[in-house]
Amino acid sequence: MQLDLINFTKRFGDTTVIEDMSLSVSSGEMIALLGPSGCGKSTTLFAICGIHRIDQGQLMFGGKDVAHLPSQSRNVGVVFQNYALYPHMTVAENIAFPLKVQKMNRTDREAMVRRYAELVHIEALLERRPAQLSGGQQQRVALARALVRQPDFLLLDEPLANLDAKLRLEMRSEIRRLQQETGLTAILVTHDQVEAMSMCDRIALMNGGRIVQYDTPTSMYERPENDFVASFLGNPPISFVSGAGLGQSEARVARYGIRPEGFGPQFGSALSGRVTFVETQGREDLFDVSLTNGEVLRSIQPAGSGIRPGATVQWGVAQDKLLRFDQDGRRL
Amino acid sequence: MRNVNWLGLAFLSPALVMVTLFFLLPVVLTGFFAFTNMSTATGVTGGEYLLNSASLRRLQNEGLPQEVLAKLEAGGYRVDAAGLAALAEATTPATAQELEQLHGAAEFSDRRDMERALKDLLDNRIRRTRDRKEAAELFKRSILNERFATEAAFRAALSETGTRTAYAEQITTAAYTGWVWTTKNVELLFALPSTLRYAANTTLYVTLTLAFNVGFGLFLAITTFYLPKGQGAAFRAIWFLPRILPPVLYVLMWRWFTWDTGFLATVTGYFGISPKNWMLDTSYHAWTVVVLINGFVGASMGMIIFSSAIRAIPTSMLHASEVDGASRWQQVRWIILPQLAWPILFITCYQTLSLLTSFEYILLATDGGPGRATEVWSLAAYHTALNNYGGNLEYGLGAAFALVLVVIGIAASLIYFRLFNFKRLITKPLIEG
Amino acid sequence: MSSKNWPVLLLLSVVSLPLLIMCGYAVIDAFSDTAPGSLVPTRFTLEHFRFLWEPVAEARGSIWVATGNTFVFATTSALVVTTVSLTAGYALSRLNFPARGFFLAGLIVLHAFPTITLIIAIFLILQMLGLYDTLIGVIVVKTALELPLGIWIMKGFYDTVPWEIEMAGVQDGASRATVWWHLVLPQVRPGLMALILFSFLSGWSEYILPQVLAPGSDARVLSTYLSSLILDDTKADFNLFKAVGLFYAAPVVVIYLLFQKHLMNIYGGGTKG
Repeated sequence: MQLDLINFTKRFGDTTVIEDMSLSVSSGEMIALLGPSGCGKSTTLFAICGIHRIDQGQLMFGGKDVAHLPSQSRNVGVVFQNYALYPHMTVAENIAFPLKVQKMNRTDREAMVRRYAELVHIEALLERRPAQLSGGQQQRVALARALVRQPDFLLLDEPLANLDAKLRLEMRSEIRRLQQETGLTAILVTHDQVEAMSMCDRIALMNGGRIVQYDTPTSMYERPENDFVASFLGNPPISFVSGAGLGQSEARVARYGIRPEGFGPQFGSALSGRVTFVETQGREDLFDVSLTNGEVLRSIQPAGSGIRPGATVQWGVAQDKLLRFDQDGRRL
Repeated sequence: MRNVNWLGLAFLSPALVMVTLFFLLPVVLTGFFAFTNMSTATGVTGGEYLLNSASLRRLQNEGLPQEVLAKLEAGGYRVDAAGLAALAEATTPATAQELEQLHGAAEFSDRRDMERALKDLLDNRIRRTRDRKEAAELFKRSILNERFATEAAFRAALSETGTRTAYAEQITTAAYTGWVWTTKNVELLFALPSTLRYAANTTLYVTLTLAFNVGFGLFLAITTFYLPKGQGAAFRAIWFLPRILPPVLYVLMWRWFTWDTGFLATVTGYFGISPKNWMLDTSYHAWTVVVLINGFVGASMGMIIFSSAIRAIPTSMLHASEVDGASRWQQVRWIILPQLAWPILFITCYQTLSLLTSFEYILLATDGGPGRATEVWSLAAYHTALNNYGGNLEYGLGAAFALVLVVIGIAASLIYFRLFNFKRLITKPLIEG
Repeated sequence: MSSKNWPVLLLLSVVSLPLLIMCGYAVIDAFSDTAPGSLVPTRFTLEHFRFLWEPVAEARGSIWVATGNTFVFATTSALVVTTVSLTAGYALSRLNFPARGFFLAGLIVLHAFPTITLIIAIFLILQMLGLYDTLIGVIVVKTALELPLGIWIMKGFYDTVPWEIEMAGVQDGASRATVWWHLVLPQVRPGLMALILFSFLSGWSEYILPQVLAPGSDARVLSTYLSSLILDDTKADFNLFKAVGLFYAAPVVVIYLLFQKHLMNIYGGGTKG
């Protein structure tokens, strides 16, 4: 189902948290609301599911305005950051709760619980209580509970934040698999750009209560709207230098953005600098190179170059990957 | 959206009703009652109108002219239907009939005139003086000692006595037996020397007990903290008893401990001191016992709060100070006590207010004695309004006493509200619905 | 560490001695006879418990009536306080409604407010309502006075329940009332238990309210039974008093021993005294 948020405004008391925001999610699409903490992404999510009131604007579910409906009648499945499982119920009871509220009869309920438990691979845990489950298992229960009522949308609020690194990788693909299998329209709220880029069809990057750019991960990475987007995406992050540091100048360009993979010996030797810091990451090495005017460029290179801190290098930048920003930070 | 609002109010409403009826209403009514002269004599509902010798004396003191008083006192004689019926009963119907014919509706201001009228009957003359006196009495129409349910009835009767209307207002007021509005209680509160005494007692009581509570509470919390877990818990459990035991039993144990047949008297008896009541023999002893009884209870509350505050101190901090070579005492002085500043302030504020107003333990222990040595303000309010040996409970005056405490209580609560920044507790619900 | 502890232990024991003696002799004296001027009991006896099967003072009546009254008084007020706090605490903790901030501030002020100052006004109100000297009247008053504290405590328990559980419930399609009943209440069950016990003990120990508001013999409770027994006797029979006292305090001590942890939380959290 298609979701449209039109001219949405949210205030808490006197502070406007989100102003005049619009967002469309196509049917079957999974998008990410990405941004630093406090940018309004969770507020947006809570507004969509009905926990927060929508002060102004429309929220259309499949063309129908639901902004004034309470949460209970919106049919949205939500997975919360800490999973919010009901501690006094077994896994089966947790998953069955939405159906019980709908007054579904017992046999149908049990069949549904079993089906969705199998979908998320927890059929062996049905009689346990949440406290007896690992983080990943709790996550799966939360997913099953959100999905069992066959919602129109699936909303995920930082679903991976409480998992350790290995589980996070596993659940990343697991959530994507479930979303694709069920064909649900899904919105993922996250502050982790890697999560957003790896899981979603499109990313809405938010800052200060506004959507800065809404695009596919690739084009957002390659063609950021402005310097905030450029700096938020990419790990290790982009470096910004002035024209003077780079030894070139163009009209209207205030500064240049160079990603670490766009600076190195393979792009020529136009710039000279001193290596101030080397970080070994195993497969790759990361260098901080201080240019003659003191500005720093980051470079990522295959491991084994043997360059040590203090060494002087003559490297170049990939002109085709150079990002140009004007006075106000907009990309030219 | 709407129904969430209603759910909230519906969930709150039972509490609202009860709290309003028996919490807020009493607060307001204390203010009202303080300005009435309610007492056992006036009752708490409405009253009647009654002139008796006491109210006449009061009127005399108020300067009512002597002739008016005499008129009220004397009353007059009127030959009316009620009197005639009584006369017919006492003598013969014929006598009554003749009197009616001769003197029907006549009024006599003097008894001799009335008696003469009775004597001068032609056919049914009442011969004996004693009988005449009795018969005359049947026609006496005095307002004195007669009860009137309504003001109108009283005023009607008053005008029949021939009292000038100029005095009617004053007399009616004096005759009213119910309660009336008055500022006398407040004036009395300022005028009575005992008020000052109670205030001084209260200050002494609150100061001493509070100091004991905080000091001893700290002592218990810190010492049990340094004991091994089991021992510490055992002592805390023991010192929790004063708080958990019913006050009546707790004070009973103190009575046994201090009275002339009790523990102290017996032990000192071994040393040849003749048994005496160690609680009530001097006011110093009474004060000591009062402070200890309340102090033990208060200290247990301090102990619990301080203990949990001490446990909240990161152990790494204590370990670090031990590594730094601090002695136990230095640890307490420089690490633990500074962390307890806030709980100490809390206990002080909280207990100041509750000590100021509580009198249960004093009532049960010394009942304000010996004499009125340990009579504190709240106990005085209780004695004045609810329990004294005089028998006349002065609700109005007691309420005036209580009003002072209510005002202090409200003021203190509001100050604490600001002091402890309780506003931050008022967060908005996250589900806006 | 433990070798250094004996001075502290000794000091604590000495200051605790009076309390220990009082409590110890409360038990000893209830079960034994002691010659005057001595502290050593001479014989074991159950005679001091004769109040259980015969009236000890004509005017006092049977202790069982007082016990029944006390039980009704404490149980009813505990149940009502808890039930009302259960909904009101939830409303104040979690629900949106007009003037919520005002009610919350009012609650905070009320829970610190010394209720005993209101006793005179309450006495007069009960007289006007015709509830004076009835058990019902005392129960209603006790309940109302205990409420702000009960709501405050209950609100505290609700505050510890994660919001997400409630949000999840609402998202699962349940109404706020269903969420409260099926999802939130089970989380605060320990708090509920503690509040019931706390208010029961508070009612069981209450003295001033029954003393002032229901002094007659029909509504007599154990606290007023014991206190009038003490006041009436010209010659104090402490053995009898202590036996009655033990009988009176037994439920308190049992509850205290069983649920010490639960109760300490509440008592420490901000009761009066």
